[in-house]
Amino acid sequence: MGLHSYFGGATIQTLKMAAVPASASYSRFVFSPISRNLVALDSFPRHSPSPPFPLLARALSMAAAVQTTPPSSEDIGTATGSVGKPQWKAAIDFKWIRDNREAVAENIRKRKSKASLELVLELYEKMLAVQKEVERLRGERNAVANMMKGKLEPSERQKFIEKVLNHSASGKNLKEALASFEEDLVKLSDELQQEAQSIPNMTHPDVPIGGEDSSAVRKKVGSPREFSFSVKDHLQLGKELDLFDFDAAAEVSGSKFYYLKNEAVLLEMALVNWTLSQVMQKGFTPLITPEIVRSSIVEKCGFQPRGDNTQVYSIEGSDQCLIGTAEIPVGGVHMDSILAETVLPLKYAAFSHCFRTEAGAAGLATRGLYRVHQFSKVEMFVLCRPDESDTYHEELITIEEDLFSSLGLHYKTLDMASEDLGAPAYRKFDVEAWMPGLGRYGEISSASNCTDYQSRRLGIRYRGNLAPTKFVHTLNATACAVPRMMICLLENNQQEDGSVIIPEPLRPFMGGMEVLLAKHHTG
Amino acid sequence: MGLHSYFGGATIQTLKMAAVPASASYSRFVFSPISRNLVALDSFPRHSPSPPFPLLARALSMAAAVQTTPPSSEMVGSVGKPQWKAAIDFKWIRDNREAVAENIRKRKSKASLELVLELYEKMLAVQKEVERLRGERNAVANMMKGKLEPSERQKFIEKGKNLKEALASFEEDLVKLSDELQQEAQSIPNMTHPDVPIGGEDSSAVRKKVGSPREFSFSVKDHLQLGKELDLFDFDAAAEVSGSKFYYLKNEAVLLEMALVNWTLSQVMQKGFTPLITPEIVRSSIVEKCGFQPRGDNTQVYSIEGSDQCLIGTAEIPVGGVHMDSILAETVLPLKYAAFSHCFRTEAGAAGLATRGLYRVHQFSKVEMFVLCRPDESDTYHEELITIEEDLFSSLGLHYKTLDMASEDLGAPAYRKFDVEAWMPGLGRYGEISSASNCTDYQSRRLGIRYRPAELAASTNPKKGGKGNLAPTKFVHTLNATACAVPRMMICLLENNQQEDGSVIIPEPLRPFMGGMEVLLAKHHTG
Repeated sequence: MGLHSYFGGATIQTLKMAAVPASASYSRFVFSPISRNLVALDSFPRHSPSPPFPLLARALSMAAAVQTTPPSSEDIGTATGSVGKPQWKAAIDFKWIRDNREAVAENIRKRKSKASLELVLELYEKMLAVQKEVERLRGERNAVANMMKGKLEPSERQKFIEKVLNHSASGKNLKEALASFEEDLVKLSDELQQEAQSIPNMTHPDVPIGGEDSSAVRKKVGSPREFSFSVKDHLQLGKELDLFDFDAAAEVSGSKFYYLKNEAVLLEMALVNWTLSQVMQKGFTPLITPEIVRSSIVEKCGFQPRGDNTQVYSIEGSDQCLIGTAEIPVGGVHMDSILAETVLPLKYAAFSHCFRTEAGAAGLATRGLYRVHQFSKVEMFVLCRPDESDTYHEELITIEEDLFSSLGLHYKTLDMASEDLGAPAYRKFDVEAWMPGLGRYGEISSASNCTDYQSRRLGIRYRGNLAPTKFVHTLNATACAVPRMMICLLENNQQEDGSVIIPEPLRPFMGGMEVLLAKHHTG
Repeated sequence: MGLHSYFGGATIQTLKMAAVPASASYSRFVFSPISRNLVALDSFPRHSPSPPFPLLARALSMAAAVQTTPPSSEMVGSVGKPQWKAAIDFKWIRDNREAVAENIRKRKSKASLELVLELYEKMLAVQKEVERLRGERNAVANMMKGKLEPSERQKFIEKGKNLKEALASFEEDLVKLSDELQQEAQSIPNMTHPDVPIGGEDSSAVRKKVGSPREFSFSVKDHLQLGKELDLFDFDAAAEVSGSKFYYLKNEAVLLEMALVNWTLSQVMQKGFTPLITPEIVRSSIVEKCGFQPRGDNTQVYSIEGSDQCLIGTAEIPVGGVHMDSILAETVLPLKYAAFSHCFRTEAGAAGLATRGLYRVHQFSKVEMFVLCRPDESDTYHEELITIEEDLFSSLGLHYKTLDMASEDLGAPAYRKFDVEAWMPGLGRYGEISSASNCTDYQSRRLGIRYRPAELAASTNPKKGGKGNLAPTKFVHTLNATACAVPRMMICLLENNQQEDGSVIIPEPLRPFMGGMEVLLAKHHTG
């Protein structure tokens, strides 16, 4: 088994907010491939849902990792040291993979994944053969044990003992042979899981095939505002309005940290409050989540918490890390449980701070608030029946679009191309808004349907009316990533005198404030 | 030099929210002593401010650490290398040895003043010797510039060589002595306000008492029970996802947190505080400079793997850092900040403490006030801060008392500390909900925050001419005070405002921040 297969590498595009769009070097620089070194035992191969939708559209059951860019040598170097022990079990449906090998192979090609289907299938067949042998030997051992329970002539008894001691041609006795095969079985299961983890989720049939340039525009709202004066970027505006302090944060914390100050604090509070009130009206349950979670939860959501190029901050001396998105703790709320079908869909809107190392982002031309180590975000998360996830995906992107339209942004929604999907995503819609100061569109949100990729790792199933349990589908979508919204609001709503108009929906949440005015003195 | 002196141990009572009041075992269990292993070089012994207030009231200039409990042996492993320099005024310590010794006794500190003074005298002696040798070496060097007989020259070369060796050896001693001196001096706590009650926790004096415990005509529930019925928290899921003492806030608890933060910010902004949202990851050195200990087995601080960064336990730390290493104009003082942040604490050593639910948790939201001011104004701003706290809690209808904390209960940075303890009927006791500390120049001497007095007109020496108009810089005083620590406020609000039917009345000031909501009603179904 080649080493490369341990290091499938997962782009973490599903860490919404982390993408620099409209750049050919996007995947390579923003999301350096990182190692996938989860080792997991297959323990739930029994529940293969029978999908009501076309086969190719079915969510695969694998601990998969997409590989959109070739792994660099440094990834392999760092990954080598960090192959872990199985910490948790993913419910990978190998039989389905074998039975649909053509579709899976095609999907791997579409997504430019480095996953090796051949190896997965080879290991699977090997494992089945060993499993068979183990079962046969167990049967034999049991038969012998039963025989010996009865009354036996000493010579008969001796024969059975011989049989146990000198089993078959191998010369090993039955007990030893069984133990040896059982050991092989565990090893094969581990290898199989590791390999299968590099297989990405299946892809929605409507997803454009190809690289980033192939992403399709689903919707376009508004047009870039025309300015009769020379525009400032949010950093310049923030300086004049005394809204940020990046310099002090660089000393206290490091680069890409910042203090929000004065009206920027009110603007953040207003954005969060307004967003929560909006999504609550749509039936979302608000949450404030833990921001420190066990590493295993991060892994189960399809992110990679370890390795040199990880986006994840780890806590020293523990198995915990900081969340990069509330998707992770919300994904964990119903971990290892079987939900009643009647409670579905579960819709959450989670407010949290998010922390990202932004490893590999050095050299990216990103100023100010665009790419930062810490930010506030309201994240929507849905758990639903498999046949409803496409519908809720549409609902989520519509909610996002409505929110951004209410704030008067000019934006476009993209159906992201196959090579641009993170391993967990079956389909992903990104929203990119116009940022006149930066002079380009910038990603402000992302909505992904992860089908059962995450639920098979997190162990989230549901049961309808005594039917066998099935895995739920999970979806996640950014409702408001504060710093990028601030960029949009400041840069788009700036006036010639340097003041900034506050969008009407936010005003009630800022004590009626209508405009940010330049300060004469720093308070 | 005894090893013990490296591990003075700092109680981190100034990490507000961390104290269990009204318990004799308070210091021992809540704040396990942690090691003080900051090693710092003395680099700013020049600016000794001449305090306008009584000598004992003056803030000491040391990287000090109070020792309220005996150091345990497990701390011995963690002595660090000097990362930053604190401006310790050794001369002042020497000149005020009686007062300093008395202060160490008062606070039950393990600091060894004798050792500090001994090391200081030694260092001065070596310094003198170094200067003498440098002078001699320069003299020799000057001699050799002139014309010399070869034999003469050889003598000077020989002498120069010997001088160089001796000098190098003394210079090395000087560095070592400076390090030792700093380490020792760091265990000396800040001086103590003359009005602070002397003694242990029981000696803390009640400054103020507002309201009385509400009388219930029904059997009271604690906030966990109320939260369960109202579907406000999820501790079980958080225990799986994150660990014990983590929680999700849910439904109206989210709105209540947002309302508390919004309302508190709006209130303190009206009092002239500048709102901030701060980084929650900071360099370890900033944590140290604020008087907290980011390393060691018993640390309250979460560290980031593979970096020198940690998570903040309070916004006091990043706000303290805003003006680090700078000289402020006197005219901008006082600077008043109200910082919103999430706070993260390991709560190491808190196992076994009888604390349920939200009382002692690993992560919480807090609005923290922070003031930088002139030394002669810090007592006044301390009063202002505690008054703001009291007004906030009164507006929310809480029953509480304010304590002037006793000398043995002060963390090393605090010159004086006022705690507010509110009645929590479900828990059946008073619980700390806030704390206001005057740290005088303890933190500013570590963080390097100075100001330049505006006018020196009267005292300007005419002989100095134009240049003399620049007054020497002084260290600012820093103060910090909790405006709203969300989880403990939630405990108070839920437990005090519960009704017989399990609903909870929302205090009027918060209602406009919750879309007009007046009461939390029990759910029939978890959404």
